[in-house]
Amino acid sequence: MKKSSGEVMSTGTRISRALLFLFMLIIAVLTLYPVLYVVFGSFKQNAELLVGGTNLLPKVWSIQNFIDAWNGADFGVYTINSVLLAVGVMVLSLFNSSMAGYVFARKEFPFKKLLYGLFVAFMFINVGSVSLRPLFELAISLNMNTSLISVIIISAGGAQATYIFLVNGYMRTIPKELDEAATIDGCTFFQIYYKIILPVLRPIMATVALLSFRGGWNEYILPLVFTMTQAEKRPLTVGVTMLKNAGDGAAAWNIMFAGATISIIPILLIYIFSSKHFIEGLTGGAVKG
Amino acid sequence: MSKPKAKEKFSFKKSLANGDVTAMVMLIPAVLMLAVVSIYPFLWMFRYLMYDYNGMTSYFSGTYNFTRMLEDKIFWESVGHTFEYAALKLVFIIPLSLIMAELMVQKIKGSGIFRVIYFMPTIISTAISALVFSFIFAAYNGVLNAVLRATGIIDQNVNWLGDKNVAMWAVIIVAIWGGFGNYMIYFMSGLSGISKDVYESAMVDGASGLTTFFRITLPMLSPMLKVILMLAITGAFKDYESIMVLTQGGPDDRTQVMFLYIYQLIFGTATTTPQIGYACVLSLVAALIVGIVTAVYLLIAKKLDDVV
Repeated sequence: MKKSSGEVMSTGTRISRALLFLFMLIIAVLTLYPVLYVVFGSFKQNAELLVGGTNLLPKVWSIQNFIDAWNGADFGVYTINSVLLAVGVMVLSLFNSSMAGYVFARKEFPFKKLLYGLFVAFMFINVGSVSLRPLFELAISLNMNTSLISVIIISAGGAQATYIFLVNGYMRTIPKELDEAATIDGCTFFQIYYKIILPVLRPIMATVALLSFRGGWNEYILPLVFTMTQAEKRPLTVGVTMLKNAGDGAAAWNIMFAGATISIIPILLIYIFSSKHFIEGLTGGAVKG
Repeated sequence: MSKPKAKEKFSFKKSLANGDVTAMVMLIPAVLMLAVVSIYPFLWMFRYLMYDYNGMTSYFSGTYNFTRMLEDKIFWESVGHTFEYAALKLVFIIPLSLIMAELMVQKIKGSGIFRVIYFMPTIISTAISALVFSFIFAAYNGVLNAVLRATGIIDQNVNWLGDKNVAMWAVIIVAIWGGFGNYMIYFMSGLSGISKDVYESAMVDGASGLTTFFRITLPMLSPMLKVILMLAITGAFKDYESIMVLTQGGPDDRTQVMFLYIYQLIFGTATTTPQIGYACVLSLVAALIVGIVTAVYLLIAKKLDDVV
């Protein structure tokens, strides 16, 4: 039997292939639907949203919801906060994971195994929401509870193990001769990192950047706790979900649709142009690491 | 500890020169964050186990938190709901993601785009997608009821998030939607590790697609499958973010899961004040429950290994 290329496919194979394609298409439509629903819905007028119905596309296209959300409901501020949070988490994660991954891969030091073990252990030891309380109280006592910096540090710290393992794994593919040659040329340990390793790490840095940016952008419970009393520090995730429980929930459907769309679109665009890195980062970090 | 050759050659230089000090300095951010963000909160939890603490004042309450837990019906119900949620989520999400992964590696036309679509929900914030689904599930103007009524499947609106009989299913649907692409990618990476030769020889022997799947793919995937299942189980037990947005544990605590209940105790709700000491006890018990489930799973996985 030859490998099934187009010409030798039997009718049976062709029908089953068509059925499989149909199945995949249905799942794809179901997956896409909620996203399309909220994005198109955000262009509907509130009256149309409140009546409901099966229409995906708005009867009348309107950008009024976005104007209202931006001006009237502080979504401009929320968006800036989301950007600051996501970029902050990303920069800290890049800086931290590249250095730690490099040291772990290239240096032997006392208690290295223990430290590595602690990183692994605390990926799995998860006491859930309780850990936010001491961090919140710590931030208060350090007078850092009014700044997004604490949220950035906690978010980056909670996810750092995955990124360090990703870098460490990638480091193993870089020959040590590269470091040795640089040492002979008079490079110090830090110069090797800065001038030689960092440029070579670029592909994995792209993955860490995307994953950590997404992590910061999508963070919800952490900023919710830290901005409980400060509306002006809220990122989009917190700001838009707050409206749901605000009592007059129904009246704000259009604002919530617009807010959800503002939150989804940037990360979606980034994803569409770099889905490969997202997917590689996932398999490299979680399963192989 | 064996030292690298290059290091011995320069052993007369101080550790400053060979970069040991630099290396330690470069590790500081990671170690500091590990200590503050992971280790400190873990240890902190033990501090308040025997205290009544509302965030402002605390006083010693002995074993009260423990006896209260034993009698706390909502907590034990939430433990039950956590198991229910995890079981239902896994029963659907694991086969679905495995099937989709298997289809993806068949290289059917368009699978590249499908893969991008299936993975897409995982890049959207859990909170935001839960919010979107709360619109879809809305009883009066939600699109799900509208579609079901238009197609004649129901003739009265279902209160998806407010009816005790269906709320858990609504929560599960969101969990499946948001997570299957993730596990699909894991499975795909496992499937791509299986050598093509095995499939070719199965084809020569005239094995059908399904036989190949059950006799070759599944057994060869089993080491990976075990890891993926473990990630899926521990993940499902810790989910509470989307439930928090969808139902806040309601209606009548029907979708209340352990970690959501604990969250509400730690930070309080609109009607309750924080009960942090008690929440610490529940957190410890919840962590133990997740630990025991993981251990039992590993044991079963090992036993299955001996059988197969």
